[in-house]
Amino acid sequence: MNQEEIIRAVNIHKSFKGHEVLKGINLSVSRREVVCIIGPSGSGKSTLLRCLNRITEPDDGEGLFEGKSIMGEDVDIDEVRSHMVMVFQSYNLFLHLTAKRNIMLALEKVRGMSKEEAEGRAMEALRKVGLENKANAYPGQMSGGQQQRVAIARAIAMEPRMVMFDEPTSALDPELTGEVLEVMKNLAYGGMTMVVVTHEMGFAREVADRVVFMDHGVIVEEGDPATIFTRPQNERTRQFLKRVLQDEPGPPPA
Amino acid sequence: MADGWQIIQNNLDVFLAATGVTVQVAVFGLAIGFVGGVILALSRLSSFRPLSWAATLYIEIIRGTPLLIQIFFIYFGFSAISPLLNFDAMTAGILALGFNSSAYQAEIIRGGIESVPKGQMEAARSIGMTRMQAMRFIILPQSFRLMIPAMTNEMVTLIKDTSLVSTITVVELTFVGKQLTSRYLEAVPILSFVALIYLILTFATSRAMRYLEKKYQIPGYGEAE
Repeated sequence: MNQEEIIRAVNIHKSFKGHEVLKGINLSVSRREVVCIIGPSGSGKSTLLRCLNRITEPDDGEGLFEGKSIMGEDVDIDEVRSHMVMVFQSYNLFLHLTAKRNIMLALEKVRGMSKEEAEGRAMEALRKVGLENKANAYPGQMSGGQQQRVAIARAIAMEPRMVMFDEPTSALDPELTGEVLEVMKNLAYGGMTMVVVTHEMGFAREVADRVVFMDHGVIVEEGDPATIFTRPQNERTRQFLKRVLQDEPGPPPA
Repeated sequence: MADGWQIIQNNLDVFLAATGVTVQVAVFGLAIGFVGGVILALSRLSSFRPLSWAATLYIEIIRGTPLLIQIFFIYFGFSAISPLLNFDAMTAGILALGFNSSAYQAEIIRGGIESVPKGQMEAARSIGMTRMQAMRFIILPQSFRLMIPAMTNEMVTLIKDTSLVSTITVVELTFVGKQLTSRYLEAVPILSFVALIYLILTFATSRAMRYLEKKYQIPGYGEAE
């Protein structure tokens, strides 16, 4: 086993009401790696991400976190999840808590920090996403972009081994995606291990160490972004990229 | 025949004491109903089937039978089951109202819990909180705010339903009203005054709840009404 491996998913299967969404996925992510998962809607990307921390329980398959299985009954899945925190498409900030308290809660209840320690950590995290002036704002008082940045701050304040992003900019107005992608880039360049389900091809091309293309519940193709975006080997990958890159600003890839 | 207002003035201390009993029955009834309601609601939402079925059965039976029968059952029936369950009228009345209210409050609480967006639980669980922690720190605090209007209805209903415990000789407002009416044969002023006291109690309750609703409103969320 690769010592730097953070997670490994082996032969993950998942069906919803008889419809097979994941048909045997194998995926491994190493420390400091940024993996972007792309693919058409309904290809199973988000379900795969949610199976990795068992927020959605896979039907079959094995998941390893730092070499240890996370699938058994006796696994403390809450502990595992606190090290591979998730950022959601719809932000999911706790609606009744201010930005600061959103971040502090899990630090106190999951990490067992004192209030003062948690507050310090929360403010530091807010600074990293450029929102220390929103510490006392409630989610309903912030823009979507700000809420998502707070959600990212909440995730990184846990000092996780990995952050999983589930289409983090898909619910945002186009003019707000930039600020969120900027924060994510800084995080990636800072060495955070990231798995990002995204439709932002520009981000994937620029930041990803590896791009995974999924379609109909299988990984069709994966590789470094240069290869995937300029010389995709599979016809389905080519078709998909042709479709989505038409809508993207800037010159198409050679 | 004495003037109506005179009767009321002469018996003000009786009315006052009876109001105290009514308030006491209502407050303890609501408190038992709330604790029971939380337990029943969480049981109903539990993934452990027998627990959820038991809670559903309890709620259906309580909601499907008359409160007056439940009051009689606890006062007269329980002592037949065991001498340990031989309650005085006041205790029996409070328990009956509490058990009854718990079924209604359970449904209100369940509704409140279910109207918290699903993503809140997911976010809490995905950051490492246990289900209990997520319930306690995220779901319940949000759902209590959402359930205030329905809870106000239940509180007002229960305050009025305390009049039923007069039938098992609890000396509360309705009991005193009936007693004084038969003594003075002046139904209109006496019962009007009793009704007025109920009205004051229910009105104060709904205003207090309205204040709570405003006070604990989540800023920037659901403010437009």
